[in-house]
Amino acid sequence: MNRRATTAAIAVSLASALTLTACGGSGGDSVAADAKQTLTVWAMGTEGEKLADVAKVYEKANPNITVKVTPIGWDVAHQKLVAAAAANKLPDVMQMGGSYLTEFADMGALEEVDTKTFKEKDYFPAGWEQGEYDGKAYGVPWYVDTRVLYYRTDLAKKAGIDKAPATMAELQTAAEKYQKAGSKYGLSIQPNGLDSVQSFYQFLYSAGGQIVTKDGKTVANSPATVKALENYTSYFKKGLAAKSVRPGYDVTKDFNTGAVAMFFGGPWHMGLLDDNYPDLKGKWAIANVPTDKTSASMAGGSSLTISADSEHKAAAKELVKYLTGTKGQADWFQRTKDLPANMTAWNSGDLANDPKMKIWKTQMESAQVSPAQPKWSEITSKIDTAIEDAAQGKASPKAALDKAQGEIEGLVQK
Amino acid sequence: MSTTTPTPARSGAEKAPGGGSPQGAGRRKKRSMGKQNLAGWLFSTPFLALFAVFMLFPIVATLVMSFTDFGQRNVRKPMDANFVGLENYTKLFSDDQFLRAMFNTAYFVVVGVPLTIGLGLLVAVLLNNGIDRARTFFRVGFYAPVVTTIVAVAIVWRFVLDPSDGLIAGLGDELGFTAPDFLGSETWAMPSLIVMAVWRNLGTVMVLMIAGLQAIPAEVREAARLDGASAWQELRRITVPLLRPTLLYATVITTIGYLNVFEEPFVMTQGGPSDSTMTVSLDMYFQGFRFFNMGYASAMAYVLFVVIMGITVLQLRLMKDNTK
Repeated sequence: MNRRATTAAIAVSLASALTLTACGGSGGDSVAADAKQTLTVWAMGTEGEKLADVAKVYEKANPNITVKVTPIGWDVAHQKLVAAAAANKLPDVMQMGGSYLTEFADMGALEEVDTKTFKEKDYFPAGWEQGEYDGKAYGVPWYVDTRVLYYRTDLAKKAGIDKAPATMAELQTAAEKYQKAGSKYGLSIQPNGLDSVQSFYQFLYSAGGQIVTKDGKTVANSPATVKALENYTSYFKKGLAAKSVRPGYDVTKDFNTGAVAMFFGGPWHMGLLDDNYPDLKGKWAIANVPTDKTSASMAGGSSLTISADSEHKAAAKELVKYLTGTKGQADWFQRTKDLPANMTAWNSGDLANDPKMKIWKTQMESAQVSPAQPKWSEITSKIDTAIEDAAQGKASPKAALDKAQGEIEGLVQK
Repeated sequence: MSTTTPTPARSGAEKAPGGGSPQGAGRRKKRSMGKQNLAGWLFSTPFLALFAVFMLFPIVATLVMSFTDFGQRNVRKPMDANFVGLENYTKLFSDDQFLRAMFNTAYFVVVGVPLTIGLGLLVAVLLNNGIDRARTFFRVGFYAPVVTTIVAVAIVWRFVLDPSDGLIAGLGDELGFTAPDFLGSETWAMPSLIVMAVWRNLGTVMVLMIAGLQAIPAEVREAARLDGASAWQELRRITVPLLRPTLLYATVITTIGYLNVFEEPFVMTQGGPSDSTMTVSLDMYFQGFRFFNMGYASAMAYVLFVVIMGITVLQLRLMKDNTK
């Protein structure tokens, strides 16, 4: 029998068996916040690694608490969380992005946020929304991210571009000019593969389009969405963007050589460019997403959630309060350059004065969140396919989205 | 072997002290076998227990799950999953992506298996007879891909196949041809993965074949050579027929391996472009772990299981008949 299938079956069935036999044990007694206890925390990727340092600081200030941080790789995170949820063995505190959060809230694995302690108005609206499911909040926004336009200023001069493209039409002209001046591709956007939808969101939301509305209506082939995909695929048709990109493609490499002149990137790209290509400093800048109907980017980031089965909910809440409060957020920005989700944290230091940070802030204020659908990753995979079919010229953007519309309707929960 | 065909010395020793009838010997033998069985069971228990928990139970659980709509909501409440009968199975056969995955998997097997077996045999014959110097070096060289982790393999092959600064593209620049975008093209992606899989699995087949070749008595070859057989005749008339059991085994395991092909498309293409490298195992993984449609993924697992079973039985039959 297939190994993956076996693993799958083991994970789920074993976990189910544990659930059946071990019921009633957890979730009952809870430990007071000031009692001596150990909090378990799972966080992914870089955040997981950096959080261990913060945990040490926190322990010093709160001697009764031991914080045990387990960093988990993004590639295994989903599997580990699902298996743990099935076995009632989720850690006290978990980092979760919007799509994970919806899924686990739907499973009933997350504790509802105490909205008396955590106030919606303190956070970016898009950050708060990511922690909501079914009208209730399950996650406190920890950090947010979005995408803005990165472009080469030195090459722009040569190409005769004097300012950042402000509209979608200007974006395309800029791409043409860059290419005439010697860049291989004017713009880098993802033509195929997993999550190509993430690079499409900038076009989609700016055109006023959506995939599924908040109240569960599928609008994947609405005129605005079709228009956005037409604009998106025109870059491939005109040879302004690479039609084929392999998994694991690193855009900063081509950005450094000038083979790619513009791309939509997240906050972490600033650090990547500074660290890996110090010679490039001063030769690139960022700008807000060019306006179509509006300038809207996608909202990403992570929330902190507390397990419904945790016996340390009171202490967990205190930890989350520290991490998402003004002081904790400013400290976190210094360590990771993750954009703070708490808006008051933006009023001090670099965050208040750096012109680049202002661009992130304005982009974040209008950033749009994916609707809270438990099957969101399956839904977006249909859009990935539509993008690919349209980018390769196998179907018109309209036909590709018509097909996706039908498939998505069956997956949407109303 | 020793319990079914006792050596003459041992049966003699058994008879001697009793000195009685053959029936007596038979009875004693039975009793000692009972003891042996008990010990056997005792020694096997750890394995059997693990097998039951980690193999048998999941296999049965998967079967049960394939008749339900088990999804992410059921992770914490498995008993809430609904029994849906054969719905998952009927849905599979109108699922374009699954049908495409079936076709791709068949493509992989039909092209990949003969190539792996053929080249594996060729390399084994060369290493066994042809090359005298640096034989160990070549054996290790051909076997190394088998024990190399897929991640390292992927990095190397991405470098080889990359259309802008890859090895083949660079060679093309030198020699004046344009290399295709191997992994980004629907036509080339599958052949590229097959070449990679053949390269990875050649070593396994080669080792099996070398073992088989060395079991062929030297006299047979010598006799053939004395009779003036050419190298080709020797291969066709002596090596291949005498290797038939090894060939059968290698073909069966390679076929099963390729029907399950997962790692190559997973690390290289994620099933793309446009599902052209989507295999059944990969589709199953996506349905099970990315979208968490566990019931549906379980049904896929069972369809694949039945296909593998059918093909294996067929292969065993066909190859056996040929030997008669």
